[in-house]
Amino acid sequence: MYRIRFHGRGGQGMKTASRILGSAFFLEGFEVQDAPRYGAERRGAPIFAYVRAARAAINERGIISRPDLVVVADDTLVPVPASGVLSGIGARTVLLINTTQNTSAWQQRLNISGPVITLPASAEVEDRADLPYIGATCAGAAARLVGVIARDTLAGAIRTELSALGAGVIDRNLENALQAYDIMQAHSGLVREGSMTSAIKYAHPDWADLPFDTARISAPTVFATANSVEVRTGLWRTLRPVVDYSRCNHCWWVCSTFCPDGAIAVDTDGKPVIDYDHCKGCMICVAQCPPHAIEAVSEEQAQRDTTTGETP
Amino acid sequence: MTGTKASIRRMKDLPSTHLLGTGTPMCAGCGGLQALHEIYDILGEKTVFVNAAGCMTLLSVYPFTPFRGSWLYTAMASSPAGAQGIRDALDILRERGELPAEEDLQVVVLTGDGAAYGMGLSATSGAMERDLDFIYICYDNEGYGNTGQQYSGATPHAAKTATSRGAHGFAGYKKDLFSIWAAHRPAYVGTVIGAEPLDLAHKIETVKQLRGPRMIIALAPCPTGWDYDPGESVNIGRLAVRTGIWPLKEYIDGKVVHTRIPRGRLPVEEYLKTQGRFAHLFAPQRDDALLAELQARVDAYWDGVTS
Ligand SMILES: Cc1ncc(C[n+]2csc(CCOP(=O)(O)OP(=O)(O)O)c2C)c(N)n1
Ligand code: SF4
Ligand code: SF4
Ligand code: SF4
Ligand SMILES: [Mg+2]
Repeated sequence: MYRIRFHGRGGQGMKTASRILGSAFFLEGFEVQDAPRYGAERRGAPIFAYVRAARAAINERGIISRPDLVVVADDTLVPVPASGVLSGIGARTVLLINTTQNTSAWQQRLNISGPVITLPASAEVEDRADLPYIGATCAGAAARLVGVIARDTLAGAIRTELSALGAGVIDRNLENALQAYDIMQAHSGLVREGSMTSAIKYAHPDWADLPFDTARISAPTVFATANSVEVRTGLWRTLRPVVDYSRCNHCWWVCSTFCPDGAIAVDTDGKPVIDYDHCKGCMICVAQCPPHAIEAVSEEQAQRDTTTGETP
Repeated sequence: MTGTKASIRRMKDLPSTHLLGTGTPMCAGCGGLQALHEIYDILGEKTVFVNAAGCMTLLSVYPFTPFRGSWLYTAMASSPAGAQGIRDALDILRERGELPAEEDLQVVVLTGDGAAYGMGLSATSGAMERDLDFIYICYDNEGYGNTGQQYSGATPHAAKTATSRGAHGFAGYKKDLFSIWAAHRPAYVGTVIGAEPLDLAHKIETVKQLRGPRMIIALAPCPTGWDYDPGESVNIGRLAVRTGIWPLKEYIDGKVVHTRIPRGRLPVEEYLKTQGRFAHLFAPQRDDALLAELQARVDAYWDGVTS
């Protein structure tokens, strides 16, 4: 059985990627499961989707914990523990990353011995309007890596899954996906099937038995106030707003009021201070600042500049 | 206005510190969250929120909350009934002398349009009939946002939704909730939008001074459900007002008053063309007939407005 996980951000089309790949497997005669996994997460938040495909009935359910292939649409997610990109990766797991950096850099950084393949499609992600296309691109690359999906089958699956989106969008997705499929030619069949699980051989983990408490104890009551600040929604950001204080005229009532998240504080001099732990990168402040004193910087670039000591 | 002294006159007077906690799971650029944070800054922390299922339910997902006071989750149709229970409990505590006046709380219902325009309308009608002392905030993103933007009673004519995918979009018409609510003769009904924070602040200051049912509908530009870039939320909100699609008005002392009558109204297509949910009106062919119908409806509304 093939076990494949797609990791990306809400809005990047990981659900679509899993559906396209799932349909392509199905058209090749496989039994398939594909499902997105998300809860309260929104656009920009880390999400994942997964596909199981086998020649026999699939009895396994739930999240894939031992993947054969992990596809990462957005490389800024790799260091984010909450995204679970590296969860369950073993020596034979293939890691496919959409990145501008090379394979050995990732192998070294992650200290993994398994194969790392890079997908040089990163330029696409720079343009927010094009984010949805990365899903089909990832599906195209994954289809070639498993080596059992024909090019025409992939195209058919994309046409079916995206039929509601109109010819223009389908063509754009097809072009990107087939290009990714072709680029991966040298690695065709690199991803190998893992063995099927057997219910007979299954040994359950060491469960901890929890006693049944009364509602007063077990009901989820929050006694803290405004403790949502513990949640770092700054992780969602793909673009970072940066204030150029030399041009800022301290009209904080504009940016600080319009920021939906209340992520712009005002200091005693009336200077706006952006809270990067929580700013989701919506760019409303950039669009509304009267003297255009807030610039949108790629988050990836901003983080690189910060680690090299330069202030963006 | 009845006996209110506005302390917020200019943008500069808006609050510079924000009460609603950061770190909520609302989408980047959520127009509903923007309106809520502006409203909460003025209502203050002596509030208890009663919430029906919708995007904003996710504000308080255990163990986190952005609120500084209590929050109660109710079934989708029953938030005003939940508010009644809380108000009654607070009143009993007050009568028994166990709750000093300065510690009393405002009970605030917070629901989406799916609940307000549809499922929850009966419970809301009952609460107004009983003259319940509460505030109702409906953030109107014109669809069932949390479940993937299916149409609701608030979806505008011709908008594409997850359940209105045909060439002409949604066949129905947006209900006039303002008039439905006002027909109950509550203490207050007002429309607001986060993109017009001063108008919003004036209305919330008014609401704070009143008692009885005080009803607020906030148009909530929704990048996810309306299909546009999140950075455009405020521009789109302003266009909703300047094209006359979202009239800013209030019902108070038995009269409806428009708080902003847009002079030189922009054509509605300036608003429609900003959103993917209306893209089929412009491509592959321009749907002149439908655009003219939408414009005519807005014109007819404003033709009837005198104050
Ligand atoms: C009685 C009932 N029916 C259906 C649902 C599923 N549900 C949860 S949120 C939601 C959408 C609510 O839409 P709206 O009130 O407009 O709020 P939004 O999600 O747009 O914020 C639905 C249908 C529910 N929770 N309860
Ligand atoms: S809106 Fe722009 S100019 Fe005004 S305070 Fe904010 S950053 Fe400065
Ligand atoms: S981009 Fe600006 S408006 Fe948006 S969350 Fe960040 S600080 Fe707030
Ligand atoms: S779906 Fe719309 S209303 Fe719901 S959180 Fe996202 S932007 Fe806000
Ligand atoms: Mg809604």
